This record gives sequence, C-alpha cells and structure tokens, in this order.
Amino acid sequence: MTAVTDAPDPDAAHPANGLDDVVHQRVRLGILTIAHEARRVEFGYLRTQLELTAGNLSKHLSVLEEAALIDVEKGYEGKRGRTWITLTGAGRTALAAEIDRLKQLISRVETVSHPDASPHPTEDR
Amino acid sequence: MTTDSVPIGGDPRRLLSDARALARRVRLDQRLTWVALLVLAVTTLVAIPFDVVGMWVRCHPDGSCEFARNGMLFYWIPALPIAYAVIAVSYLRAARARGLGTHIRPYAITGAVTTVVLPAAWVGLRLYLAHHAVPEGPLPYWWFALDRLVMPWSMIGIALLVLAWLERNVALLLFTVVYLALVVLVLPLNTGYGPPQWGLRWNYALPQLAVAAVLLLGAAGFRAAARRRRQP
Repeated sequence: MTAVTDAPDPDAAHPANGLDDVVHQRVRLGILTIAHEARRVEFGYLRTQLELTAGNLSKHLSVLEEAALIDVEKGYEGKRGRTWITLTGAGRTALAAEIDRLKQLISRVETVSHPDASPHPTEDR
Repeated sequence: MTTDSVPIGGDPRRLLSDARALARRVRLDQRLTWVALLVLAVTTLVAIPFDVVGMWVRCHPDGSCEFARNGMLFYWIPALPIAYAVIAVSYLRAARARGLGTHIRPYAITGAVTTVVLPAAWVGLRLYLAHHAVPEGPLPYWWFALDRLVMPWSMIGIALLVLAWLERNVALLLFTVVYLALVVLVLPLNTGYGPPQWGLRWNYALPQLAVAAVLLLGAAGFRAAARRRRQP
C-alpha cells in the first residue's frame, strides 16, 4: 500500500538551490531594492540607508556591477562629485527571482514546521 | 559589517522584511504630497477671476438670465497640464536633491488622461447642451453629480486618487475620498451658491473658494506631517 501525503518531498528541488549568491546577501539585496524603487539612486543615499562605510558600499557595488546587475554613472553637480546607480534589466530580473525564492523558502519552512497548517499567504513586495 | 551571504533558515523572512522596509522608506522619501496639493490649490484660486470675468451673462427683463462659463473653459484646459508639469518637475527636483530618482511616467500618463480625455467629455457635454434643450422640470440629482464629475475639480480628485495609489499613500487616499465627496456630492460647483445681491458671477466663486481652501488645508496638513517625519 502506498501512503499519500501533502507534505513536500525534501529531495524535491529546494528553493534554496536556486539562490544567487550575488543577490542573496542583505546589503546587496538592499541596494537592488532601493535602486528598483527609486529608478536611480545616489551613492550617499545608499550609504545612509544601509549604514555602511564608503569603502564597504563600494565593494558591494563592484560585485553587483561585475555581475551586470547595476550601472554606475559618475558625474558632477557643480563642483561636487555624484555617483548614480541604476538597475539593469538583468538586475530587475535577479531581484524579482530572489524575492520569489525568499517567499518560496518562507512558505516551505512554514509547511515543514507545521505540516498541518496551510502556508501563510505571501504579500506583494 | 559582513559581506558573507546570509545563511538560509530563519533569515528569509528577515531579508524580505528588510527589503520591504527599504522600499517603503524610498517611497516616503520620494513623496511631495503637500507640493502637489499646494499647486492644485493655487491653480483653483487663480481660476476664480477667470470664471468671474470670462463668464458670458445675458439677463432678460423677466429676471431670468442666460450664461456660459467661457472663462473657466479656456482657463482649465491649459491650466491642468501646466499644474501637472509643475508638480512633476517639483517631484523630480526634490527626489534628486535627496539622492533619488522618481517614476515620472505614471504621473505623465495620469496628467495626459485627465487633461485630454475627461475635459473632452466636459466640452462634449457643453456642446450637447448648446444644441439640445435641457429637459423641463427639476433635473434629477444624479445629473448634477455627473456634471460635476467631468468638471476640473473632479479631475483634480481623480489625479490625486492615482497619485495616492502610485505612492501607496493611505493618508492621501482618505483625503482624496473626502475631497471627491465634497466636489461631486456636496459643493454646488455647477449651480452656484451665495446671496442674490452678489450676482450670478460671484455665486460661482464661493464653491471654488471652498475647494481651494480644502486643498490648502490638505497641503498644510501633509507639510506638517512630512516635517514631523523628517525631524530626528
């Protein structure tokens, strides 16, 4: 006799397998989120919101730029240098995929922890 | 500060909640609701002399009068797009000063729709009434409400409704619902109000003054709220 269960198969493709190391990181996810919401964002705004040093933020930006997820544009406003960050098409896709996987992970963790409970509905970002 | 990837298990919820909080913060920093309301209030105030001076009136010996609010028609058609352009530029400049961009396209679409499509319906209604007699007897209330719905003050309300939706601004949504109820259901914007000695022209000014006052009060309220939020 074969038992049928609604519990997820732990060997099935786990959402964590699809996580992108470049995006699945608190600061870099924050940069992508802000750039997505703002359309373009200045270096100083990111530094303030993410509470980072300039050097640390630059390292994260380099990782994202190398992965072609953001465009970095340097210029001047008067005598003051300004660096603007814009999300690329690949960046938008990567951000959407990351958010989807996070939602799947949360849903999966809840289903495994409480097999009888139905998963919580996910909110839109 | 670490640059390592966040381990899985327990953290996805926090990552997602952090991302949502950041997105919300950006939206708050992009808002300039009070400026939008102030610009629309000033536009409404400036419209009053155009309506008073530009109104065509011909009174008959029996005391009845014919009139057409030509000044209002000629004023609002260019005034609305100019007001929306001023608001859009203000949003862009303020966002840029804070180190942010802003999504201008939805504002432009809303501005275009309310500037072209709905005033066209308003002009169409006026043209229809110019060639067709108004039905005898008291007109039903919905007729007045429908007439007010295609007037410029309702167009302002519809634009504010879209702005509230774009900004996910619940306070602006509530304000706009009250504002729209006022301009469509309460204020006699298409019939005038005031003592007879003021004359036909000034009777139409009073409800417009009330609309401008509501918008100005809203602008003051949203400005105070924005200042309080930015205080450390």
